[in-house]
Amino acid sequence: MSGAHCGDRGRRSRWGGDAGAVGGIEALPFGILTFVVGALLVTNLWAVVDAKLAVDAAARQATRRYVEADVAGPGGTARAERDAVAAGLAALGAHGRDPTRATVALTSLEGTGGRTGYSRCARATFTATYRVPALSIPWIGGFGSGVEVTGRHSELVDPYRSGVPGSATACG
Amino acid sequence: MLLLVPAALLVVLVLASIAVDMALVHLRHRQAHDLAAAAANDAAGAAADPAALRAGAHRPDPARAEAVAHQVVAASQLADDVVGAPVVRVRGDQVEVEIRVEADYVFAGVVPGAPDGTTVTARASATLRPGPGG
Repeated sequence: MSGAHCGDRGRRSRWGGDAGAVGGIEALPFGILTFVVGALLVTNLWAVVDAKLAVDAAARQATRRYVEADVAGPGGTARAERDAVAAGLAALGAHGRDPTRATVALTSLEGTGGRTGYSRCARATFTATYRVPALSIPWIGGFGSGVEVTGRHSELVDPYRSGVPGSATACG
Repeated sequence: MLLLVPAALLVVLVLASIAVDMALVHLRHRQAHDLAAAAANDAAGAAADPAALRAGAHRPDPARAEAVAHQVVAASQLADDVVGAPVVRVRGDQVEVEIRVEADYVFAGVVPGAPDGTTVTARASATLRPGPGG
């Protein structure tokens, strides 16, 4: 009888008051929430930085391929552009990126000395874009439309290279 | 003791933020190097001295090399972040381009007294040589 009485009193004291409560426990969910939100922010920023490196490399590879391409024969410049786009997408793939989320395109081809199209000294500019998902989870994939990262690179078609019609003297 | 948990998580986030800022500087350095390499390559090719070429010598013209490098940098995506004019040096058949680019931090700016960014320098060179056909 007396023992039961003692047990009731013990239970009351454990659940009824503040005795035994751990100070600062309410900070735990706040800390974890801060950590989760912060970790998501940092990983998303890192994904954008990494994608920027990849699209820059893709634009550079595409441009290099284009200005050094063999354009002799019918459809030579169109073939050079296709090959350049394929080289850019391959560079993105080599960076571990999904080429279906990317675009690589010839955005500008400015000739000099009144010439147009693929000519000596023409400045070719390729632009590569990649859509970074808003949230990436390892092994599962990305969610959300996210942000579009763009890289641009331009180079001159070598004025003294072979296989391009015209003369280098018109380059000015 | 439990109060140390949010503090520890905050320390992890601060370290991650520093990592992201350093990655941004690395990215800018890569971009600056790509731009310097493209400018040097274009300058070496487009600035070849025609008179010297006819004589069989492969020598870029310094004034043209500088003009071409400036055009390449001005047409670049990084043009707004380039500090000063690119430095172009021609030594024999080689063109060297040096550029300085601003790199902005994302997180360090919120720390009072910390710099908002830094300047990275990249240097690249290209050599004018005859192709396989001469």
